[in-house]
Amino acid sequence: MIWFIGRRLAAAALVLVAISMLVFLIFFATPGVDPAARIAGRNADPATLAQVRQAFGLDRPLPIRYLLLMRHLVVDRDLTSYVNRGVKVVPQILQAVPITLSLVTGAAVLWLVLGIAMGVGAASRQGTAVDPVIVFLGVVGVSIPVYWLGEVVNLITQSRLHNSLFSWVPPLGYVGLTTDPWQWALHLLFPWLTLAMLYAGIYARILRSEMVVALNEDYVRTARAKGISERRILIRHALRTSLIPIVSLFGLDFGALIGGAALLTEVVFGLPGIGKLTFDALENVDLPVIMGCVLYAAFFVVLANAIVDVAYAGLDPRVRRA
Amino acid sequence: MVSTDPPAEQTAARASPGPWRTALGQLVRNKAAMAALGVLVVITVACLGAPVYAHSVAHTDPFSSNISGTTVIDGKTVQLLQPSSTGLGLGVTPIGPTWNPSHYFLGVDNQGRDVMARLLYGGRNSLLISLTSALMCCVIATVLGLFAGYFGGFVDAILSRVLDVVWAFPVYLLAISLSIVLLTSGLDIGPLHIGGDSLLLPIAIIGIIYVPYVARPVRGQVMVLKEREFLQASVGLGASDLRVLRRELLPNVLPSVVVFLPLMTALNMLTESALSFLSIGVQPPNASWGTIINDGLGLLYTRPIVTVAPGLAIVIAAGALNVLGDGVRDALDPRARLRGAA
Amino acid sequence: MSVRARISFVAASAALALSVSACSGSSPNSAASSGTGSTTPSGSSAGSSAPASFQSQHKGGTLHLLAKAAAGTLDPMVNYTLQYWQLYQAMYDGLLSFTKVGGQQSFTVVPDLAESMPKLTDGGRTYTFTLRKGIKFSTGATVTPADVVASFTRIFTVSSPTAGTFYNGIVGADACLAKPATCSLAKGVVGDAATNTVTIHLKNADPEFPYKLAVPHATILPKGSPVKDAGSTPLPTTGPYKVASYDPNRALKLVRNPYYSEWSHLAQPQAYSDEIDETFGLTVESEVTAVENGQADWVYDPPPADRLNEIGTKYTAQAHVNPLTAMWYLAMNTNLAPFSSPLARQAVNWAVDRAATVRLYGGTNLAQPVCTVLPPAFPGHTDSCQYTKGGGSTWKAADVAKAKQLVQQSGTKGQQVAIVTQDDEVNKAIGEYLQSLLTSIGYRATLKPISANIQFTYIQNTKNKVQISLSSWYQDYPAASDFLNVLLSCASFRKGSDSSINIAGFCNKSIDAKMQQALITERTDTTAANAQWGAVDKQIMTQAPMAPLFTPKLIDFVSKRVGNYQFSKQFYMLVSQLWVK
Repeated sequence: MIWFIGRRLAAAALVLVAISMLVFLIFFATPGVDPAARIAGRNADPATLAQVRQAFGLDRPLPIRYLLLMRHLVVDRDLTSYVNRGVKVVPQILQAVPITLSLVTGAAVLWLVLGIAMGVGAASRQGTAVDPVIVFLGVVGVSIPVYWLGEVVNLITQSRLHNSLFSWVPPLGYVGLTTDPWQWALHLLFPWLTLAMLYAGIYARILRSEMVVALNEDYVRTARAKGISERRILIRHALRTSLIPIVSLFGLDFGALIGGAALLTEVVFGLPGIGKLTFDALENVDLPVIMGCVLYAAFFVVLANAIVDVAYAGLDPRVRRA
Repeated sequence: MVSTDPPAEQTAARASPGPWRTALGQLVRNKAAMAALGVLVVITVACLGAPVYAHSVAHTDPFSSNISGTTVIDGKTVQLLQPSSTGLGLGVTPIGPTWNPSHYFLGVDNQGRDVMARLLYGGRNSLLISLTSALMCCVIATVLGLFAGYFGGFVDAILSRVLDVVWAFPVYLLAISLSIVLLTSGLDIGPLHIGGDSLLLPIAIIGIIYVPYVARPVRGQVMVLKEREFLQASVGLGASDLRVLRRELLPNVLPSVVVFLPLMTALNMLTESALSFLSIGVQPPNASWGTIINDGLGLLYTRPIVTVAPGLAIVIAAGALNVLGDGVRDALDPRARLRGAA
Repeated sequence: MSVRARISFVAASAALALSVSACSGSSPNSAASSGTGSTTPSGSSAGSSAPASFQSQHKGGTLHLLAKAAAGTLDPMVNYTLQYWQLYQAMYDGLLSFTKVGGQQSFTVVPDLAESMPKLTDGGRTYTFTLRKGIKFSTGATVTPADVVASFTRIFTVSSPTAGTFYNGIVGADACLAKPATCSLAKGVVGDAATNTVTIHLKNADPEFPYKLAVPHATILPKGSPVKDAGSTPLPTTGPYKVASYDPNRALKLVRNPYYSEWSHLAQPQAYSDEIDETFGLTVESEVTAVENGQADWVYDPPPADRLNEIGTKYTAQAHVNPLTAMWYLAMNTNLAPFSSPLARQAVNWAVDRAATVRLYGGTNLAQPVCTVLPPAFPGHTDSCQYTKGGGSTWKAADVAKAKQLVQQSGTKGQQVAIVTQDDEVNKAIGEYLQSLLTSIGYRATLKPISANIQFTYIQNTKNKVQISLSSWYQDYPAASDFLNVLLSCASFRKGSDSSINIAGFCNKSIDAKMQQALITERTDTTAANAQWGAVDKQIMTQAPMAPLFTPKLIDFVSKRVGNYQFSKQFYMLVSQLWVK
């Protein structure tokens, strides 16, 4: 088992290195991205351009440039942006983390509660009108483009009904939890709801089908025959087994979201988290920040993956041999 | 998508053609799935009829700018893009919906083009992109999953790491970088040149990013099947690897791949629109639902319909695909069916 | 929304920005500047180009500014964006400065850290400045000739963007450009502590040199400032504000410089608000909403198209519209088919409906169609339009039939043409229109919208084989050469370089000679020189390496509580003069 974990971690590290190389190569294969002219400024003369190129090490061969970049990012942790010169990448990322964490954690609570309530509700009321209605809501949730929903929500809360129904909605942006907890929650309310809608739909659908299966299991019938209350069967027996796939799925989703997969939500609602940082860096074509964000994001995805893999291996010895 | 690895004992039973027919029968009896299929057929027909609508009903060319154009509403000639005439006179607002199918049913966009006609044309691209990329994804994933699962060892290690990289690589970065490279210079594969505005580019990008979603379950399934007696017997009888893969393994994993197809198509439709948001994908003046949403965002406060209409189209189409996908899954997923019957 | 890559027209990319121009509402030639509403609503702002003296009852408070994104390094010698140049007005000083007033007068250069305008000797090649006494940096140190000398050297050691274009005339500059590390201007810039003077020696007389001394790249910083780009670390200031903190992902915070006291109301007037915050990260839509709701005082970014009408009708008193000395234009690559043919380039000029592009930019009150390289009301500009239906000296309508005929005649009909634009909303919309237009006059046109940050350098490099592109140019300082000589001289065309601002690759030896001639005339006779520049403009437009589209105007949208709005044509709204009390 330890051997398996070790191998899995080594593979994860390998994946991270491969991703960083890919990002680097794609960046420098892109026409027009050579940052020298952008750093040097409008209509810089060739001598100035050459100076900038040398100062930023852009005249070195690609492999050297890659190694230098990675050394500054990982070892010295003093890598600076090409666009906002003098601004270090690592502190920028660390600063954005709490915002993404606030968004994702709040949304996760919402979608777990909603998703489980909907899943259980639908599964326990099969054959009534409740089931198809919940299923329908779940389908709508997973079929809405998140950024579009965010835009429409903004249109309604910030403009169309801002002077009547939604006059209590604060302007877009973020307020720190420690600064003002109430404003923090108020600012994040609609981002939470928007993000949670998608995942609640996914989780409700999966949970429902798992529960339907579980409710037909022998042990549930036995329990019923024993006269245990339907409510107890639902919660104690069916829900408990059905939650296992939800938990592993949650691990993967949460890892990805913490890594910045909530990019569109953050951008639409003006939340300066990891996703927004990544988005801005992409817009600015700012390689050092892009590299930092990508590796940060990939780290969480790979980590979540590895944890899920190891957990499965613990449960199922056959996987270990693969 | 996680819970699709069926337990091995049922998987073996799937090799015969019987289950396919049974599944089809069950799908046809599923009212929700059939209704969803109906919705999809209506949407597809409407989108395919886009040229007919544009030329014979609305009499408009949805691909050329008409910035100084005029039209007649209620007997009055009005400009399609109306400059503000009050206050400081800032800004230009396109005309809104006329709700008259024969001209500018949903109004015009910022180029003075008919939104309804563009919506129909856009639907063709959206459906085409999401469907072909889903097919491409499933084909690639099945092949990779089969190879990785069957050969194991070194092959598996390499393929799995490649899948890990794709899985962990941020989609948006890949999309934006590729869009800059490819849109400006196109793509040359040997003698084949793909232009920057070709639909193949968004199809390829979207098709690749979700491969791990399908390939991993397939691989897992193959690894389980490999231990089964019928397969061991087949190998023992000297069947070639290729034959085992094609004749024994493929038919067994196919149903779960088929289950993925409609769900993947819905997912791709959402992805296409998100990528359009980031300006990759269908290039102007061509359109897809995603690009129309993106164009409309600039008019959100004055003419929200330009954004809302394609958004609703996506919700309806993706919703229908999801319902259909659920139906297919219920029909094909042996665990749910067999246990339900037990 | 907002996510749309709405890069502001002016600044966003590291590159663009510069300065400014035109007239505030009050100046005579800008009657149209605030549209129909100009008479009443913008009263607070439009007027008074000569500010009354300081009104202390309005002093105090915090001014909240909003910008979608930060504009990069805070180093005044490196930053080349309008966004920060506008703020530098109230922070940094050079030997000379543009007057900090509204209206036409803002183009006038006055002594700032120098006591008076320099004495010119040696045929205009030697400038002698006497420094004012007692001016202090925000560190408390006094400004001395040694600081001035160090500052000019620093322009080269930090590789300032304009080091090789503005300051290359200083004696010794060539060596500094080649080897910044060992830069010494010992013979070019000489300080004398005893007399408190600084003498600058130029290789040749340069009538535009005072302008170049008045832009932020020639800021005077303390001796011993870092010899590399200071990035986000603030450098000491001399003006009314200094930087309290700067985080490019959050905010820039300016507070009063305790060592400042007004030495010249024209050059560096004292400021009203105690603090200025510029907050980054909101979408432009929400910025506008915040100002409407009184949560912020001003928006840097141009308002989105769908909010213009609302601003122009519901918030007329808070919106100020001013024309800029700038140009949006199509650059046509004169070295690549089909636009290697002058007929094809002329055809495009005939075909472009400038009114349509104006409409896409926000309507007739936000832009004015043009046919010349030099913007209206700019030195050297003469009304002239060689490409308008019905003739005349101003643009009236496009002539597509004529364009089609020229395309036919040029033998380029049916060729493939790719238009490269930025991918923000306005640029892309104009691009889509152009694609449609070029198709209609006989080309097989496609559109390539690319990231705004890359487009500007991408279209300059000949390696990328760009045929036609949409670009814009905003003046650095008010001189005709800043458009014609910079954008269209042989010297600005550098094959294979990302920095080749002559995007059309236009190099006409005889026109180039005429521009050199005008530069020489300028040393002695500005009026005659401007007439020569006007003639050059006409000759260039006959060759048609570009198709000028329109001169943009700028909207400043301020909150209800803001007073004393003044617009400098050089550096735009005077931030230090706004009051919030």
